[in-house]
Amino acid sequence: MRIIVFSIILHWLIVLGCSPLFVGIINRVKAVISGRRGPSIFQPYFDLFRLMQKQQIYSRTTTWVFRATPAIVLASMLCVALIVPFGKIAAPIRFSGDIILVAYILALARFFMIISALDTGYSMEGMGASREAFFSCLAELVLFMNFITLAILVKKVSLSQMIGSDVPLLWSTVGAVLIMVVVSFFVVLLTENCRIPIDDPETHLELTMIHEVMILDNSGVDLAYILYASAIKLFIFAAILVPIIIPFKTGILWSDMCVFFAGMTGLALLIGLVESGMARLKLNRVRNFLLIAFALAFFGFIVTLWRI
Amino acid sequence: MQKIISLPWQVPFGTFALKLDPLSLVFLFAIVILVVCSGLYGIGYLRPYKGKKGMGWHLFFYILLAVSLILVVTANNVILFLGAWELMAIANYFLIIFNNDQHEVRRAGFLYLMATHCGTFCLFLMFFLMANNAAGSMNFDVIAATNFSPIMAGIIFVLALLGFGVKAGFCPMHIWLPHAHPAAPSHVSALMSGLAIKTGIYGICRVIWIMKILPDWCGYVLLIIGASSGLLGVLYALGQHELKKLLAYHSIENIGIIALGLGVGLLGRTYNQPFLSAVGFAGALLHVINHALFKGLLFLGAGSVIQKTHTGNMDHLGGLAKVMPYTSALFLVGALSICGLPLFNGFISEFIIFMGLFNGLFNLPQQGIFFCGLGIVSLAVMGALALACFTKVYGTVFLGEVRAENVNIEDIRGRKESTSKWMIVAMMSLAGLCLWIGLAPHTMVNFTLVSGQYLSGKSFAVNEAEKLLIPLATIISVVLFLIVVFLGLIVLRRLVKGNAAPLIRETWSCGFEQFSPRFQYTSASFARSIVEFAKNILLFNRQGNKIMGAFPAAGNMSSAVKDAAEEIMVRPFYIRLIRLSRKIDENRNKYTQMYLMYIFLFLIFLLVWKIR
Amino acid sequence: MSCILVVFFALMILAAYRLSGMIQIFAIQSFVLGFVPFFMHADHLGLRDVALAVGTMILKGALVPYILFWAIRHVSMRSEVKPLIGFGMSVICGAVLIAGAFWVSSSLKLPGKVASDLLIPCSLSTVLLGFLLMVIRTKAVTQVLGYLVMENGIFLFALSLFDVMPILIEMGILLDIFVAVFIMAIVVNHINEEFEKTQGLDKRWAKMGESL
Repeated sequence: MRIIVFSIILHWLIVLGCSPLFVGIINRVKAVISGRRGPSIFQPYFDLFRLMQKQQIYSRTTTWVFRATPAIVLASMLCVALIVPFGKIAAPIRFSGDIILVAYILALARFFMIISALDTGYSMEGMGASREAFFSCLAELVLFMNFITLAILVKKVSLSQMIGSDVPLLWSTVGAVLIMVVVSFFVVLLTENCRIPIDDPETHLELTMIHEVMILDNSGVDLAYILYASAIKLFIFAAILVPIIIPFKTGILWSDMCVFFAGMTGLALLIGLVESGMARLKLNRVRNFLLIAFALAFFGFIVTLWRI
Repeated sequence: MQKIISLPWQVPFGTFALKLDPLSLVFLFAIVILVVCSGLYGIGYLRPYKGKKGMGWHLFFYILLAVSLILVVTANNVILFLGAWELMAIANYFLIIFNNDQHEVRRAGFLYLMATHCGTFCLFLMFFLMANNAAGSMNFDVIAATNFSPIMAGIIFVLALLGFGVKAGFCPMHIWLPHAHPAAPSHVSALMSGLAIKTGIYGICRVIWIMKILPDWCGYVLLIIGASSGLLGVLYALGQHELKKLLAYHSIENIGIIALGLGVGLLGRTYNQPFLSAVGFAGALLHVINHALFKGLLFLGAGSVIQKTHTGNMDHLGGLAKVMPYTSALFLVGALSICGLPLFNGFISEFIIFMGLFNGLFNLPQQGIFFCGLGIVSLAVMGALALACFTKVYGTVFLGEVRAENVNIEDIRGRKESTSKWMIVAMMSLAGLCLWIGLAPHTMVNFTLVSGQYLSGKSFAVNEAEKLLIPLATIISVVLFLIVVFLGLIVLRRLVKGNAAPLIRETWSCGFEQFSPRFQYTSASFARSIVEFAKNILLFNRQGNKIMGAFPAAGNMSSAVKDAAEEIMVRPFYIRLIRLSRKIDENRNKYTQMYLMYIFLFLIFLLVWKIR
Repeated sequence: MSCILVVFFALMILAAYRLSGMIQIFAIQSFVLGFVPFFMHADHLGLRDVALAVGTMILKGALVPYILFWAIRHVSMRSEVKPLIGFGMSVICGAVLIAGAFWVSSSLKLPGKVASDLLIPCSLSTVLLGFLLMVIRTKAVTQVLGYLVMENGIFLFALSLFDVMPILIEMGILLDIFVAVFIMAIVVNHINEEFEKTQGLDKRWAKMGESL
């Protein structure tokens, strides 16, 4: 019991401490590439702190759904974080089938995000909500296709084992499949976290936005909760992707941890590069983008089937 | 765990044989709960009709339906089963046409009657083939003890899929379902969607139980039917504007999920994997119960909404959470359950089916893995689409502002119809059961695992059940932990905010001042991107004038989704049939001798039949 | 691995929006294709492997794309691809075809040993994807590209039977292709965008698509 409590606290310390930093690095990379000096990589912490101090404003139209949503979303992310291992640090909660729980807790958070956006009764929020609902369907498709491929490869349905120590060994035998998994999962990461080719995390006033426009009416602590939750979500997805990418394990705890965090930083750099290098896709092309990712993931699945 | 009652009966071939086995227990459980809850709800719901309609008849048929449902799932004799089956169809028909002054309701009732009899035709064929194989015995137990050749088993299975599939609403055969469910009064829709279509599933389970050995393609067929019914059902649901029609299409989706579970179970049985098989069947059966609970809850909630607002068109609704707080909260419970989100019962059964499919990945041959993979993916997408669908329903019916022109929330608040105590109690008990299965699933999971083993014919090692039960226990602790964290965050928010009370203002509309509730996203616009994505399957079309120029003229736009199965398969067939019968009819009117000729021809046919 | 990349790029061509993009992807695909012989005969690399690989890379990776670029520049056609069915749908069709190709090749018995078990299904997939490309895109250039993708698939197939196939034939095929593309480029130049018939068909198809 004590061990579990200790590992939960450790996990939360990592995820609460590092996730804003991850966003900070991405923003800094984007700034540097576009020729600005950019904010400090610790800026997201200051932003969150600042938002905590602000007074809240609620719309007259909203109900309790709107007020409960930020806490629900953050709580879901904190729970999901407990199922995801961070490199060598084992996940406090792991059992056969936990990937389904991960996906469905994320869906719970999404459900409340969407209805809270509809709760405000304004067209823009509804628009964002509609798009979120649509794209997440396609992202779910790719996500589960990847889960299946990984599950067949390691013969386990637990996230800790699917991205655990067996995966580096697979690179030598089914490297091609893993490449497809990595690429399509990266697309899922970009979609679920509303990064650039799908959505722009910076602005919210244009008609084309998804996530940012859903939280137009949130303010103060609520906004801080939601921003924190999305930072954690990004961190979680990255933490799932990085162990698949890194093709080796040293076996020593500390060096593995260093490799993991180096990988995370590298991924943040990569996301920053992608965001600087690509333009946001036209909305009706996003679905094609996701379908290509699906085709890739499906191809990976077929090749896996062929190989076993 | 079996009880058999057998009484002599004057009907030829019939004995009044009832049997209570683990399979019928599952269905009986769902039937008893939902019949009682819907009945309670009906007391409140029908109050406005008092004196205008014959309540006695309604009550009579309601009880007749309940009795026939119970008979269907406990009958142990073919004749008794078919009799109860017909009784159920007729009782159901009279319940549907409660509002028989409306033309559409009468049509829907008629369509229901037609469809169900087409199905029954296949059932007659199937049962007589079975009885023929069992040397004329009409007893299920006797039939189950005989051996069937693979071809015969295949034919019987296909007939069962057709006959019971019409009742259950498998995808191409579902056309009666979205017409009949909205036409009936809400508590009857709840019964139909929660129970009547489940008798189709019961029939398929019974056939699976009777045919101890089925060819291996049967499992794949069930998986494919499950995936296609599920996906199409939820996509059609997304395209609906009418609340009860949407829920009706959602029943098709859930039937698809159940079929996926049955498919895995059947594959497990075929490839001799007792645990896999039991898990698949158990997931499907638990979903039967769960769907009865949450779909009942949703239909009852929809009934309250329609009673209060006089419309089921979601494009005209909004903001009802402020007027009907209880109904909206209970509807939210139903919506969360049907989306399979943790904390409620839908997640438990979907999790079990997922586990079955994932286990299938490791224990089946190659094509089995392929289809299980497709099953997993389609189940996941169904979940995501159901989420889109129910956020749409909840967001546009209960949240935001009223979308209809010239109606505001105070008008609706002022209406005299109110959700009576009976209705709230009925919905609350269903919601409570949803929460109970969601948070303490062990009782029901063990119960359905027993039925699953009964259906698969083999029992697995006792410690294997732990593979399912331990993850479930962990899930419950995670979910409880989530609630604790949530409460903690709420408290934290109080603390951080200090004394600064939140301001209450209008919704921030990006600086735009002439804001009106008519700006809101409606259910149609919310679903549009998804529906348009699948417009080729959904026969989606939009009509309306384009808005051009800086000062556009007044425009209007409408969009509709048409059912492809109805438009492409059934309607052309129906039209040809009408044309043919009209032609025959013409001849008949011309000559009286035609009658004689028909009789003559039939006589010759019979003679040839006999001589051969 | 490179076989899989070939199929991957064939999929990408299906999803590309612009003619230039398609040609670029085709160039990359052919380039990757050129590496396949190296991987297959890594232990006993002969002169003819190298010749074949280099030949492929130069011809298909550079020369053919160059000619195609020249052609589309000369007729100054619009650079959007005209799909008969949507991009998303075509990718899904592609995925289904790949599954079909793998399924078919699992029951295909070949004489002799194949260097990699992925070679046959991948080549079959590439051929099918090329065919799909020819079916569902209307422009003349896309027809050529579809043909070329198909040819890449056939090349892959030929590699699996490499030892049986004299190099001369392969070289001959390459030359054929080159000439064919060359002629096609000229023809495209004259047709200017689309075949008349194709266009008529296009409209009928489009109408059918709408009615569906």
